Amino acid sequence: MLKTPDWGMMIVLYFFFGGIAGGAYFTAAIADNVGGPRSSRVALVGYLLSLPLVALCGLLLIADLGVPTRFLNMMRTLKFWDPMSLFGLFSFVSSVMCFGPFEHMARLRRRIGLIGMLFGFFLASYTGVLLSATAQPFWSEGRLMGALFLASGASTGMAAVSLILALTGGGSNPGLAKVKHADRYSMIIELVVLALFLALLGSAARPIVSGHFAPLFWGGLVALGLVVPLVLDFVGHGRKALGALAAVLVLVGGFILRYVIVMSIQS
Amino acid sequence: MSSCPFGVVSFNEHTGTARKCTFCNDRIHNGLGPACAKACPTESIQFGFRDELVAKAGKRVETLKAMGFKDAQLYGADQKGFLGGLNAFFLLLAKPSTYNLPENPKVPQRNVVVDSLLSIGSAVLVGLGALLAFRDRGRGDGGGHA
Repeated sequence: MLKTPDWGMMIVLYFFFGGIAGGAYFTAAIADNVGGPRSSRVALVGYLLSLPLVALCGLLLIADLGVPTRFLNMMRTLKFWDPMSLFGLFSFVSSVMCFGPFEHMARLRRRIGLIGMLFGFFLASYTGVLLSATAQPFWSEGRLMGALFLASGASTGMAAVSLILALTGGGSNPGLAKVKHADRYSMIIELVVLALFLALLGSAARPIVSGHFAPLFWGGLVALGLVVPLVLDFVGHGRKALGALAAVLVLVGGFILRYVIVMSIQS
Repeated sequence: MSSCPFGVVSFNEHTGTARKCTFCNDRIHNGLGPACAKACPTESIQFGFRDELVAKAGKRVETLKAMGFKDAQLYGADQKGFLGGLNAFFLLLAKPSTYNLPENPKVPQRNVVVDSLLSIGSAVLVGLGALLAFRDRGRGDGGGHA
C-alpha cells in the first residue's frame, strides 16, 4: 500500500510563500533591468518582499520537523551554497542595495538580480518537482507540477507586489500598471499549464477534479483565483480597488492550489 | 515515505522518524539470519543466497501450476523485470494487486529531469511575459542599433 507523507499546513504554507518569494524577486529583477526609472518602486517592493518570505520559509520547515531542535543536526554539515540559502543571500544583498550608500551601484544590483532570479525560479518550482518524484500517481503522472508551481509562484508574487504598491503608493503609479500587465500574462500561462497538467494526468487527477476537494479546486482556484481576477483586470481599466481585489483573489487561489494538491491525497 | 512504490517506509510514532526493514543487518552479520525468517512458523519467509532461492521458488511455482493454481507467479524475482529485480521477492498465488503490490513499480526519481526542464520552459514563458510588460516603450535607448 502506498503511504502518504503526512504533510500538513506548514508544508502547504512553505510551498505558497516560497512561490511568492521567488516570484516577487523575479518580478523585481525584471523591473530593475528593463523597466527603467518608472518601475523602480516595483524593484524595491519585490526585493524587499522576498527577504522576509524566504526567512519565513525556513522557519516553516523547521517548525514542520515536529522536533524543531533537530534543525541543529543540519548545522553539523553547514552548507551555504544550497539554492534556498543562496536565494536568501541574493534577496538580502539586493534589498540592501536599494538603499542609501549603495544606490549609485544600481548597475551591479541589476546584474545580481539577474543571477538571483534563477534561484528565485528554483525556489518557486522545485517544490512541484519534489512532489513529482514520489510514488503517488496524482503527484507524479502530470509532468507539469513544477511548471505549474512556477507559473503560480510568478502570478502570486506579482499579485503580492501589485497589492503592496496599490496600498502604499498614492496617485498614479506607472509601475503598478506594469506589474498588473505582467501578472495577466502569468495568469494566462498558469491557466494553460493547468489545463495541460489535468489533460496529462487524466484519471489520476481525480483527487482534485472530483470528490471532496473538487469545489475548492474548481471554485476557489480556477474560478475565483484565476478566471475572475483576469476578467476584473481586463474590465477594470486600471481602477485601483478592482486591481487590488484581483490581486487578493490571485493570492487566495495560489494558496488553494498548494492546499488541494498537498492535502487531497492525504486523508 | 511517499516515494516508496511499495509503501514500505513508515513513520515510527515512538522515535518520530521514518523507518524501514534493514534485513536485520546486525543479526545477519552475526550468522543469525533475519528474525522474521527465523520466527515464521510455516517457513514461508526464507533467507539465503538469492539465486538459490529463485531456483527453489521457480520449481515451487511449477508444482503449484500443476496443482491448478494457474496464476501462481514470482514477484520481483526476474532481474530483467521491474527495478532490476528485488532482493526480497515473493511467490504469489494471484495477480500482484490482490496483495496490494503494484503491477509495475517505478523509481520515484524518474521524473526529475523532464519535470525540471518543463519548469524551465514555464520560467522562460513567464519571463517573456514580464519582459513584454516591463519593457520601457516609446523611449529609444540608443544602444539597440549600435
